[in-house]
Amino acid sequence: MLSVNGAVPTTIIVAGIALAGYALLMTALNRRMNVPLLAAVGVLEILLLVQVGIIVAKLAGGQRPAGLATLIGYLIATPLVLVAAAFWGLTERSRWGPAVIAVAGLVAAVLMVRLHQIWPVIHV
Amino acid sequence: MSEPMTLPEPTASQPDSTRTGPGRLLIAIYALFALAASARAGVQIATKFSHAPVAYLLSAFAAVVYILATVTLTVGSPTARRIAVLSCSVELVGVLAVGTWSLADPATFPDATVWSGYGSGYGFVPLVLPVFGLLWLRRWARRPGTRRTTAASAEDAGEAAGGGVAHGESSAPGHSPEDVVADGRA
Repeated sequence: MLSVNGAVPTTIIVAGIALAGYALLMTALNRRMNVPLLAAVGVLEILLLVQVGIIVAKLAGGQRPAGLATLIGYLIATPLVLVAAAFWGLTERSRWGPAVIAVAGLVAAVLMVRLHQIWPVIHV
Repeated sequence: MSEPMTLPEPTASQPDSTRTGPGRLLIAIYALFALAASARAGVQIATKFSHAPVAYLLSAFAAVVYILATVTLTVGSPTARRIAVLSCSVELVGVLAVGTWSLADPATFPDATVWSGYGSGYGFVPLVLPVFGLLWLRRWARRPGTRRTTAASAEDAGEAAGGGVAHGESSAPGHSPEDVVADGRA
């Protein structure tokens, strides 16, 4: 269980940074949003939802962090940010669509680090 | 989704509103900070306001500024752009003032705001963001094609074309139907 707890956030951080790198490369190469990039966003979104599920399970199991309100805010915001970014990037028909995705990938990585700071039970 | 990857890239066409092109990225980051600052201020004011009232009120103020900038940049009308310039200016002054204040008088800030230490808690993005916002808006203020004057005489048109070339922009004739579609969906 402990290894799973640590593996998911670590994977999200790596995947988020990788997605940001890929999207930035697309921006640099003057590409717009395409199916492979959307698929990568989908994979990261699934990982984020898994992480939210793990945390909700911990809360349901009776564990409580010091900053519960903040944690719940993060639980709601984390999966939404990527979906909003995907929509916002898709409505752009230039290289700046992938640039939005790059930001979202970095944000996903940062959110995992912040989650760990809010509740150290969540290993990174 | 179904667009083939081999389509010619459409980036040759210039953004036709403040929410397209680089503005798309700018608004995304503004929206992110609007969300972050609002949530942070909301939680802090609701749960522990007396701990650091100045910091939390400043966070709330920052949240309002970010929301205003996000909305006005998205709307992009001349009036909205004027409000956006004001928001970005207030934001820049705010991050510089609060950043200096937080370093000079740490006792007032037992807890950080978005703008503490010039936004160091957020990778200094709060310091850089208003600068890019103002640069983006300046480009629109200079662009004659966005002024909806009916007296579009030949001289005006010539001036508009000249100004566009001088700033590396093309004006209205460059718009493709795709841009309109994207606009309609946004």
